[in-house]
Amino acid sequence: MRRAFFITLAVLTLVLPLAHAAELPEWHGFAEHVYAGRISRDSLTKHDNYNILEQRLQLKTRYAVPGENFLSRWNGVLAYKGDFVLDEYFQTSGSYEVRELNLIFSPASMVDIKAGRQVLTWGTGDYLFINDLFPKDYVSFYTGRDDEYLKKPSDALRVSLYPKAANIDFVLIPHFIPNTMPEGDRLSFFDSFQRGIAGRESERNAVKPAFQAGNMQYTLRIYRTFGSTEGALYYYRGFDPAPRSYLDEAARRLFYERLDAYGASVRGPFAGGIGNLEMGYYRSRQDDDGNNRLIENSMLKWLAGYEKDLGNDLKIGVQYLFEQKLNYAQYQSALLPNDYFWDEYRHLFTQRITKLYRNQTVMLGLFNFWSPSDKDGYLRASCAYDISDQWKLTLGLNVPWGEDGITDFGMMQKNKNAFVRVRYSF
Amino acid sequence: MKKIPFFLAVLFFVSNAWAQELSVEEIVSKANNRSYYQGKDGSARASMVVTDAQGRTRQRQLTILKLNIQEGGDQKYYVYFHKPNDVKGMTYIVWKHAGKDDDRWLYLPAMDLVRRIAASDKRSSFAGTTFLYEDISGRSIDLDTHELVSSDAAYYTVKNTPKDANMVEFSYYTVKIDKNNFVPVKAEYFDKSAKLYRMIEALEVKDIQAYPTVTRMKATDLNANSHTVTEFSDIKYDVGLQEEIFTERFLRTPPQQWLKE
Repeated sequence: MRRAFFITLAVLTLVLPLAHAAELPEWHGFAEHVYAGRISRDSLTKHDNYNILEQRLQLKTRYAVPGENFLSRWNGVLAYKGDFVLDEYFQTSGSYEVRELNLIFSPASMVDIKAGRQVLTWGTGDYLFINDLFPKDYVSFYTGRDDEYLKKPSDALRVSLYPKAANIDFVLIPHFIPNTMPEGDRLSFFDSFQRGIAGRESERNAVKPAFQAGNMQYTLRIYRTFGSTEGALYYYRGFDPAPRSYLDEAARRLFYERLDAYGASVRGPFAGGIGNLEMGYYRSRQDDDGNNRLIENSMLKWLAGYEKDLGNDLKIGVQYLFEQKLNYAQYQSALLPNDYFWDEYRHLFTQRITKLYRNQTVMLGLFNFWSPSDKDGYLRASCAYDISDQWKLTLGLNVPWGEDGITDFGMMQKNKNAFVRVRYSF
Repeated sequence: MKKIPFFLAVLFFVSNAWAQELSVEEIVSKANNRSYYQGKDGSARASMVVTDAQGRTRQRQLTILKLNIQEGGDQKYYVYFHKPNDVKGMTYIVWKHAGKDDDRWLYLPAMDLVRRIAASDKRSSFAGTTFLYEDISGRSIDLDTHELVSSDAAYYTVKNTPKDANMVEFSYYTVKIDKNNFVPVKAEYFDKSAKLYRMIEALEVKDIQAYPTVTRMKATDLNANSHTVTEFSDIKYDVGLQEEIFTERFLRTPPQQWLKE
């Protein structure tokens, strides 16, 4: 992204002269090598024996605006984080991604504003998201990049208000950024146009909503604590971050249907651990009654979770997610004979175990997804060793599996891999 | 050497004489308040160096903000990590409760993720150091029975035995408390076979805003042959921390005025 690079350069040139107080910002970051070898060969993708090989350099800085101008009075902080990546999988010449470039300031005591590129997260799930409809990168998730890369940045304006009764976060995202989903080059996936699991031969493409006023996304969270328990209400108006609807079957074009989401969550101490409950109602605005077979139906989602510290640096967590496709009768009767179809209900369980050894320098982690209704699952295992304050070695496994090639994890079954990450932080 | 004014000497003598008559509960309570509850609030920068059996070192640097809600009881803590670099910017809030589990939140800036931490085990390592959570935020004095085992001219020695032995890894611990200022200067932990396996020592005590304060302390794990030395700097009491600092707002957006690099 050459343009992003020059924008950053321009902003830095504007801001750096402000550093007249000789207080130059500190730079930190890391250099990392990532490699993931496939456990089973997959001739569908560009390389049949690995799915990631890259070197990454991340640089970040924070800069508190000095002096006596209005921004310093408002505690203005400029934050920047960018990654240079040499991607040897695609043999590209290198890329540059700005993950954060934003200005945070408080124009009044009860107001915080964060404007610019930023990563946004809320909700109570662990790797499961109901009311967090901010963009995610599932290619990173399945290939073995750090968890940080599951979240994609948004170009957004976040206004946070803190009146006595409750806190309010309002986020405006003018430009839609979809999830990064497997597309066949790096990870094979289920492509209905190819009638099965597809790789490079996939020709489908997803059409993003145009950049215009009517396509702006808004999202709202109202939250507060009740003693030790946190409660939150959520609202989202935008698009499904994954392309689940068909725009033109003959041309193999998908699109991101309009989506409104209404939700709520609670989280707090429960039975000697932390319990959480979250629900969301997804309203598919372009197929409200469920009669259009090409557009995703409205959905209802429920999540319950529990995490407990068993002592000796051993923690466990369990979650249950329930999803219901609404207006299922209409959906069924609208289907054509050759259509793939999805069940009305989906049940998904997850389990997490984390154990630390050697004064918390060695971490063993196991995360399991398992859906009895989809008959699929996904095992994520990792072992991370903090060799020193600078060096960290992480080994891990990604093992998605399933009986069918059309379910969320089942479609990923050819992408099982073992990865290694070596990181030097500075 | 300066002459000690006569009235101060008398005061010292009298207060010492009073102190002799303190009950063990009063001694423990005074020592607990001295260690964890001085001032209405406080801020400090902690630099921790962990040394393992092979002599390799790791560094932790953090800013700690503390607010007393109730003396000897509830407190709120805010922790900002400066080092190591891979966790720089991570923030942590603890609402310490007397008599029930603490509430803890951790913020991971790279993912903009606020995690609620299930942490019923207060005897796990604090940030990978030889110090335990309980060493940093205090162990409720109601969890142990206390016995004054000795009292000489300078120190009390108190033996503390857990009421619920299954909750902890020690069978008892002794604390040596300075009679002049009630600063605990040494704690020794004994395992189930009464063998000493863990020590915490105050290496340096200074008066800061008239509050006697441990500015350098060391925790030693005799089994692992490792230790951690913590140095506190920029210690300030009664700085006027507002309770709102200890909320999700400031977890996500660290309060700049308290976190000078």
